[in-house]
Amino acid sequence: MRFWQLFWTIWLVVAGSSFAFITLMVMLKGGKDLRVMFRDLSRQQKEDNR
Amino acid sequence: MNFAAIDWVIVAGYLILSMVVGIIGKRYIGNVSHYLVAGRELGVFVGIATLAATEIGTITYMYNGELGYKYGFAAFAAALISGLVMIIVGRTGFVISRFRALKLMTVPEYFEVKYSRGLRIVTGLLVALGGILNMGVFLKIEGEFLTIVSGINVRYLVAVMTVILLLELIYTVLGGMVSIVITDFVQYVLLSIATILVSVYAVYYAGWGHIVAKVTSTMGEAGFNPLVNPKFGLTFIIWQVLLWFSLHTCWQTTAMRMFSTKSPETSQKVMTWTGFIFLGRGMLPMLWGIAALTLFGTGAMNNGVPQPVVNGHTLAPIDAMPAMLAQILGPGIRGIVVAGMLAATMSVNSSYLLGWSSVISQDVILPIRRALGKGALSSRKQIFVNRAANLFVSLFLMFWGLYYTPPGAVYLYLNITGTIFLAGAFVSVVGGLYWRRSNTTGGYAAMLLGAAGAIIPYFFLHWGENVTGFAAFGLAAGGLVIGSLLGRAPVESAQPAAVG
Repeated sequence: MRFWQLFWTIWLVVAGSSFAFITLMVMLKGGKDLRVMFRDLSRQQKEDNR
Repeated sequence: MNFAAIDWVIVAGYLILSMVVGIIGKRYIGNVSHYLVAGRELGVFVGIATLAATEIGTITYMYNGELGYKYGFAAFAAALISGLVMIIVGRTGFVISRFRALKLMTVPEYFEVKYSRGLRIVTGLLVALGGILNMGVFLKIEGEFLTIVSGINVRYLVAVMTVILLLELIYTVLGGMVSIVITDFVQYVLLSIATILVSVYAVYYAGWGHIVAKVTSTMGEAGFNPLVNPKFGLTFIIWQVLLWFSLHTCWQTTAMRMFSTKSPETSQKVMTWTGFIFLGRGMLPMLWGIAALTLFGTGAMNNGVPQPVVNGHTLAPIDAMPAMLAQILGPGIRGIVVAGMLAATMSVNSSYLLGWSSVISQDVILPIRRALGKGALSSRKQIFVNRAANLFVSLFLMFWGLYYTPPGAVYLYLNITGTIFLAGAFVSVVGGLYWRRSNTTGGYAAMLLGAAGAIIPYFFLHWGENVTGFAAFGLAAGGLVIGSLLGRAPVESAQPAAVG
């Protein structure tokens, strides 16, 4: 039982910290991704309309 | 009423922001690929945000909280498998990179590319049936969460959930995947902040030492070791591995994100990083459930765990976690958390609405039209059909979702309804991509036997979930192999292209 307690504690720390880290990265870099997506969608629309 | 004025302001502010950014998406919709797969222009970080937001809803928190309350730390096994399998799929590109290279828009579309139009329609019907039944329980359970945490009178539950569904519907119908991606980004940030806040509060109030001691005294080793827990065991673990491989590759809403990325390589990166989020997606709400057991698990024993008692009232285990949040969160924080949960609710529901309605329109209505000899629809008309299907799915959910109560643990109900089509779809897709001998006869056998293997044992023979899952995947695999060997060998051809 002691093994499983330690096992799940380690995985909980891994899960919580990676969740927080990836959230931070998405907050910092996701805005740029969205701007690029809008630009590329506008370009696609212009090409479709030609 | 548990809400203070500041909480209402936060929630109303979130709803207005969500609607405004959602409606912005409409201006970028020029053709059906913009509407369904955002023009295949998703980058890595916004891809992670939309995939994570799509698969993390209030329903996810509720069923994982229930698992944590009932089975303790042993439930973490399900979360660990979901995350690790996702990382493996991302790292290897198993199914997803080939799917992306084919430029598909829906999973059943592959069945026409590899097998036949008829099998695409059959798969589309099964995917839509399983998916909508799966989503059918969302509204009621999400409504329970909001009612308990905010303290809204239960009489207004139907009205509140109807308004939320209508708000989601407006931006989904107008802007399709583009609107969903924009709102998912906002919603992912908010739901993640709420998740982290609640986790810190739960451990702080219940105390880590008390949490471990409560599980030890209540469940003993079965609360930690999934192999000795009677609900889990080795069969559960193997079934979950199969199920999560199929979910991460063939679940329509997940696959749509992969189809929407810029390239196969981008889809792999999105899947890998989201795998790490999936560890927390399961384990953190399970931890909240265990904290709720620690704080409120003082009632009579039921199936090996004490029932939760809050202010003298005995609750169902699934309601213990939201009841805990209503008690431990203060004004302001409660508003942020409820806004976060609303964000989670709306991101899942809007994506699922688009996912299942796209299958109805692209894989059932349009192929039937072509089979009847009618000409192909223009992109604009296809978008109209998609929007109409969206409305149909919403109406069904409004009536079914608010009144149907699933039997047993919600997590397992969702697994079984998903298995109705996932067993056959996964086996047929893997066979189609990696086994040259697979053919249409095998595809039909896999889809029909997989569905029968999920429905008959679970709903009519009342077998357990683990055995039912095994039966479905086993029958589907057997059906594909035997059907393919008995049927005519497929004609060798170059890499097939998407059919639209």
